[in-house]
Amino acid sequence: MKGMFLSKESVVPFIEHLASQQKVFAPNKKVHGSITFEEVNDANDVVLNYARALLSVKKYFLPQRETLLKYKLDDNSFEKQEIEQVNAIFLGVHNYDLQAVLKLDYNFKNNNPEKNYLKRREGAVFVGISYEPDNFHFSQSVGIDPHNTNGFDLFLHKTEEGFVLEVLTKSGEKLLDGFGEISEFQGEYPRNENFNASLYAPQSKLKEVFANSYDNPIWKEMAEKCVGCGTCNLTCPTCFCFNVEDNVGITLKDGSRDRHLDGCMLRGFTEVAGGEIFRDELAGRMRHRIYRKFKYISDITGEPWCVGCGRCTIFCPAGISIVDIVNRLVSDYDKQQVLNEGQMTSVLD
Amino acid sequence: MKPKVAVFDFTGCEGCELNKLNFENELLDIIAHIDFVEWREAMDDKADEYDIAFIEGSISTPECVDRIHDIRNRSKILIALGACAVCGGMNAMKNQKPLEVAREEVYGKDKDLFPTLPALPLSAYVKVDFEIRGCPMTQQEFLRVVTALLMGKNPIIPDYAVCVECKLKENECVYGNGMICMGPITRAGCDAQCPSFGQYCIGCRGLVSHPNKEAMIEILTNHGLSVDEADKKMSLFNTENREGGLK
Amino acid sequence: MIKTKNGELKELYYPTISEITKIEKFTDKEKWFEIRLPNGDDLQHQPGQFVEVSLFGIGEAPISVTSSPTKKGAFELCVRETGMLTEVMHRMESGDKIGIRGPFGQGYDIDAMKGKDILIIGGGIGIVPLRSLINYVIDNRQDFGKLIICYGAKTPDELLYPEELKRWEKDDNIEFHLTVDQGDENWSGNVGVITTLIPGLKLDLKNTIAAVTGPPIMYKFVLLSLQSKGLPDENVYMSLERRMKCGVGKCGHCQINHSYVCQDGPVYHYPTLKTMEEAI
Repeated sequence: MKGMFLSKESVVPFIEHLASQQKVFAPNKKVHGSITFEEVNDANDVVLNYARALLSVKKYFLPQRETLLKYKLDDNSFEKQEIEQVNAIFLGVHNYDLQAVLKLDYNFKNNNPEKNYLKRREGAVFVGISYEPDNFHFSQSVGIDPHNTNGFDLFLHKTEEGFVLEVLTKSGEKLLDGFGEISEFQGEYPRNENFNASLYAPQSKLKEVFANSYDNPIWKEMAEKCVGCGTCNLTCPTCFCFNVEDNVGITLKDGSRDRHLDGCMLRGFTEVAGGEIFRDELAGRMRHRIYRKFKYISDITGEPWCVGCGRCTIFCPAGISIVDIVNRLVSDYDKQQVLNEGQMTSVLD
Repeated sequence: MKPKVAVFDFTGCEGCELNKLNFENELLDIIAHIDFVEWREAMDDKADEYDIAFIEGSISTPECVDRIHDIRNRSKILIALGACAVCGGMNAMKNQKPLEVAREEVYGKDKDLFPTLPALPLSAYVKVDFEIRGCPMTQQEFLRVVTALLMGKNPIIPDYAVCVECKLKENECVYGNGMICMGPITRAGCDAQCPSFGQYCIGCRGLVSHPNKEAMIEILTNHGLSVDEADKKMSLFNTENREGGLK
Repeated sequence: MIKTKNGELKELYYPTISEITKIEKFTDKEKWFEIRLPNGDDLQHQPGQFVEVSLFGIGEAPISVTSSPTKKGAFELCVRETGMLTEVMHRMESGDKIGIRGPFGQGYDIDAMKGKDILIIGGGIGIVPLRSLINYVIDNRQDFGKLIICYGAKTPDELLYPEELKRWEKDDNIEFHLTVDQGDENWSGNVGVITTLIPGLKLDLKNTIAAVTGPPIMYKFVLLSLQSKGLPDENVYMSLERRMKCGVGKCGHCQINHSYVCQDGPVYHYPTLKTMEEAI
């Protein structure tokens, strides 16, 4: 669809124009110190030039904490929770985070479609923005080109002078109604393909690599460095595991059943009543996490379940790098292949 | 019948107890469900037996030892309240030097009047049924534990790291601001209170079970601490003498 | 944008408030509960499936259904007191309300079992889900060949379903073998772990389907025994225990490799399990 030009000076009026129509969520640094998506009250607080948000926009569809139902203890009755559509514009979303939402859509639509997630997700409009990859982004390696606009309604491509505003859907176009500070854009869309970090192999090859990496010594080596704090799980935009807990008020009359995000790196994750823990070793948990990103779901969908945002690496207190792990598996696999071929040849000789 | 509840203090600052007296909105609800039968800081009454005894402070004198055994014998459920009772707390720093030296430093020429022992958690002497961690313990957690016990279920104390709660709250990692934080290996349950205010975690809730200490030392030394300093950070709220130490 | 078929989606997390109608204490640790859904509706489960038992203020836990779907008007659970929810459940009384979600997961492949001899191997509490299958076979006797039941417990005190065991013992249509790891002064039957029952069995190897359930440690030895007996792996089904928190394939706790136990299990065909790391 068509492209428009948005000058630097027009960015704030653009945000205000969006906010006059619907609630807008955008990156902000004032609330938590870290970059987080927050509701826009003042367009000047929006940070469009950022590396990554601490949590992706996933939090609006799968909140960190959520009440599933409320109950009364005296008569064993419960109240259903009204789930509201988010109905908002998400501004300044990096494309890997939207790709992650599309992956979550798959997880929550398939098998038993989950109303809580899907209903909240329904009314979301996405305005994307390009970014400068830092040393931790590797999205291109998992098939997400820096200017991939898949799933967006509008997309802001950063240029020297401002932004090329690409209009991608009817709903995107409608958002611009009545906004005068843009002009028709003629010319090539800006491209930026400079990633500092990358995986050595595409998913098609990783499928083979992971099929042969279950016993790789790297799991034990990494487990020696890992403190098992779960930061990688909790910041991952495609992680969706949760735990459920009952909380009762001090009056002992009522309470709620709540879920909160959980992580497979945490030791108690697989614990059953009676105390048995099925993945007791950090090495096994680390392997499970990485296999979930590149094998377990990927073998079915053909896509990696990692979007290359780099969060698990940059936020890891122990400095464990997912890129280094995957690349080590690839090199080890390649070395093994060479050895195998060598053996084949010697047998044939 | 409402459960009979008592509160006792041993060696500690009594901050946890005071914290509990500060309940404004919930105190009436609590009293509706339990009878406080003994609590030095709040009342004069005494009782012979307790359904639940909350114990604050560490065990640091021969007199403490007799008293904690006596209370244990008269209590159905015994709960360690706060870092000193759970893991020795700050008091346990005393254990790093010979007892006689510590005694002399504190009491000087009167030292013979004050017999002393290494400062140890309750669990070194008696069976502890549940622990409410923290320095001081938080009111929310105290309420959670009391509610659970009144419901007839075991209170759940998280056994994952403070990092989990920090990330759920979207706090900026304080390591990024040059601070050294014990969050990655400290037991959650405080809702990451300190990092939420831009402060580092000092580890007052003790370590998670099965901590990877070597990995944590590597993190700390990578951030400029010596191995000795890293070790001290880790042992501030974690004495070596936990369960079974001197039973 | 996400479109969902026919508007509203099924609620996944709301329990159906049901009533406990009977309770029997089997052992110090295990109690049997009969539960009636509203209006006496059938649970509509398959042998081997489980439900999430839901107690407000306490939480939820996955529990195997122990009754056969041929029982109408109510279903049964047998619960070992082993965690918070089951402890509270053990304090409950007939007439108390209890929330139920489910049934969930895959049960036994009844179609593959039809016309075959059925070999049941249950260790300890593993007999609980198997009893659903046993009673299903008993109630549809004409559809199956021989029914061979091997059941082992640690001690005679720990045997479940005492009345039914007597009936199975007497039933000419059932080949029933019972063993305990350790006998007592009143015990005159077999003593030894469950694998000691297997060598003596006379099996029509091609025509026998085995359903095996027990503690993780038991699987390895029972499978070895069955293999050395010559029973093909394709003829073996097993049931796994995992932390199944949501029951609907979302929360992630029960995942083994690509498989969610609450969706693809708890009953698995052994050839499938063999390809899964960490499963047994």
